[in-house]
Parts: sequence; C-alpha cells; structure tokens
Amino acid sequence: MESLRDIRQEIKSTKATQQIMLTMKMISSARIRKAQQMMLDGRPFAHKMAEMIDSLRKDIQAPDSELRKNSAYRFFDNTDTAKNSVMLILITADKGLCGSFNANVLRETLKWLRANEEKEKYIFIIGKKGRDFLKRLKIPRLHIIGELIGIFPKASYAHATMIKDAILQAGTKYNISTVHLIYNDFKSMASQKLVSKDFLPFDFDEIEGDKDLSDITFEPSMLAVFLVLIPRYLGATLYSVLLESQAAELAARMNAMESASKNAGEIVDNLSVKLNKVRQATITNELTEIVSGANALN
Amino acid sequence: MKTNKKLRLQITTPQKPVLDKEVDFVVLPAYEGELGVLPGHKPYVATLNFGELRYTVDGKEEVFALMGGLAEIAKDEVSVFAEDIALAREVDEETAKQKVEQAKASLSAKGADIDMELAEIELKKAILMLKVKNNKRKK
Repeated sequence: MESLRDIRQEIKSTKATQQIMLTMKMISSARIRKAQQMMLDGRPFAHKMAEMIDSLRKDIQAPDSELRKNSAYRFFDNTDTAKNSVMLILITADKGLCGSFNANVLRETLKWLRANEEKEKYIFIIGKKGRDFLKRLKIPRLHIIGELIGIFPKASYAHATMIKDAILQAGTKYNISTVHLIYNDFKSMASQKLVSKDFLPFDFDEIEGDKDLSDITFEPSMLAVFLVLIPRYLGATLYSVLLESQAAELAARMNAMESASKNAGEIVDNLSVKLNKVRQATITNELTEIVSGANALN
Repeated sequence: MKTNKKLRLQITTPQKPVLDKEVDFVVLPAYEGELGVLPGHKPYVATLNFGELRYTVDGKEEVFALMGGLAEIAKDEVSVFAEDIALAREVDEETAKQKVEQAKASLSAKGADIDMELAEIELKKAILMLKVKNNKRKK
C-alpha cells in the first residue's frame, strides 16, 4: 500500500501540472484572437491578387501569348509533370502539446514521401517539429532547402517572402515540376483541417472571380505587370497559409490543454478518494491494535 | 475643372487594408513617372515604384511613402497593392534617420551573412520615408 505521504505528493504535483496546462490554455486563447484578426486583415490583399491573376487567365492560357514564352509561365504549366524533382512546403508547429496537430501533418508528409519515393525531393520546413522529424528520417534523395524555426506566433509577411524567394530560387535551380503544400487549416476554434495540395503550378479553377481586363492599358507592359504580380500573389498566398497554420496551432493547443487539465482534475479527484481510504484504513488499523492491546492486558 | 464625381481609393498591404476612402485626385508613383488619376480615368494597371503617393480630398492633401507594388484603376476605383506603406505625417524623422544610418552601416559591412538585397531595400525605404517627410514640411 502506498503511504499517505506518497499520495499527497502525487496530488500536489498533478495540481501543479494542471496549473501549467490552464495557463497555456489561457495564453493560447489570448493569442488566438489576434491571430484570427491577422488572418482577416490579410485576406483582401490575397483575394485581389487572385482576382487579377484570374483576369489575366485568357492571356496566360492563349497558345501564342507572350507570357507563355517567359520563364514565369512555368508556374502555370501543368502539362509537364514528368520531371524528376518535386518540392514540399511543410508547416508544423515549433512546440508540441497541441494534440494531433503535428502528428497529422507528419503522417501526411510520410505519405507524400512514399508517393514520391523515386523522385528527387526538396523540402522547405517551417516549424521545429517538422525539422526534427525529417532530420531523424533516413530517406534517400531527400534535400532540405531551407527552414524557418521559431516564427510562430509572430509570423509576418517578411517570413512569407523568405519562403517565396527560397522556393522560386530552388525551383529554377533544380528544375522542379510541382510544389506541394502540407499544413493545418484553421476551420473553427474546435477543429483544424489537414490540407495537402499542390501549390504550384497554379490551378485556375481554385481562383475565383470573373473580371474582364481585356481593354486595360498596362504600364509598362502586360508582361511587366505579370512579373510583378506573380511573386506578390505567391507571397500573399503563403502568408495566408502561415497565418492559417498559426491560428490552427493555437486553437489545437487550447483544446488539448483544456482536455488535459480536465483529465488532471479527474486524477486529483481519484487520488483524493484513495488518500481518504488509505488514511481511514490506517486509523482503523491503529484502533484495532490499541483495542486488541488493551484486551490482551485484561 | 470641378466635378462632383469622386474616386474610391483603396490601399491594401499584405498585412492589412490601410485605406478605403472617397477622394478627388490621386497621384501614383508609377513605373514610368508619376501618374495622376482623376475620376473617369480609363482602365489601367500599373506597376509602382518606391515613391510618394498623394491624394487630395476637399482641397486637403495627404502623402504616403509607398514601397512599390501594383495599382489597378477601374470604374472610378483605384486599388493600390503596396508592399509596404507609411503615412507621411506619422513617420518619425529621428527613427527614419537612424534607419538610414543602420542600413548604410550594414551595406558597408559587406559580411557574408548579410543579405545585401534586403539591406538595400531597407535603405531605400528609409531614405524614402525621410524624403517624404521633408517634402511635407516644406509645404
């Protein structure tokens, strides 16, 4: 039987852990409001960029378009998928203690790695958990082209620009056919959705809007505008993805910590019952001894 | 030339929408020089340089320091997509001066770790801020 002191110690430490969990939950819930606001604020820019890309759709897709001859066109060219190099942008959290947030993403990553077993794989990692995971893996033809650690919960547009520059550079250098993206999407406070999709080449069907820019004057030229537009669109999209993941992480941590502190509460309750039982048993035991001792004297 | 028609000026950065306002006249720092926009302008898409963005509403002028981007003009709506933007009268001269110094220092340091491109952009930004601020004061 455990001693009273052991049980008291256990209750004490469980309560201390519970306190930490509650604090973490409160921190997350305080930050999540800001993260959500950032997401909302970033949306108009990304949306407008998408609209403009869409309005150039006809010019981009026309077979004799001058845009087609430019190197930037490869972001739209989905006919050539036979190339032997692929890229992955992986977004995880820096910290654990957020339920299945990281595990989901990493499982999906494994799936992707297996699907592209034969190809040269280039990966850009955001988040410490993803980096640690990939560093442990021993997989051939796996190259890490860049990593961003410790940007959450302060992801900014500058980070998105860094990722964008890195993938554009690597894209040209290694002749990459598709860029895949795996991250957690913020659906609601209670749920996150795992997203695994091709980021490049662009999928026009995903871009909404049906504005017609056909009689518009471009300064200095349509091509120049196009070249300015593309990196900004990529940046804005990556930025919104970062913010989604950031908000999702906070929401996941909030839920995980809430249920963890609830569980801790149950453990404390059970331990208290046990403590009382043990104490009662000890007292009963002592009484019996006293009584039987007194009887023996008679 | 006085019309009752107004332009709707919208300025957006990747971080957040900055401005959405009815104005009389906008001057954009377009690629080939300043571009003035009045109501009834033809549809236009222009790339923007580092420079001043000015708009007038009821005779009052407001100046922004704009760090490059795109502008779209359609149906009396001017949408500006800026990399970064600062309201001239909110720019702090001292901070801007310090930033110029800092950027110059990191440019001349020429260390292997320093991203030259980034430092150059920082310098351009800081100088622009200072310039816009000073122009504003002269008026």
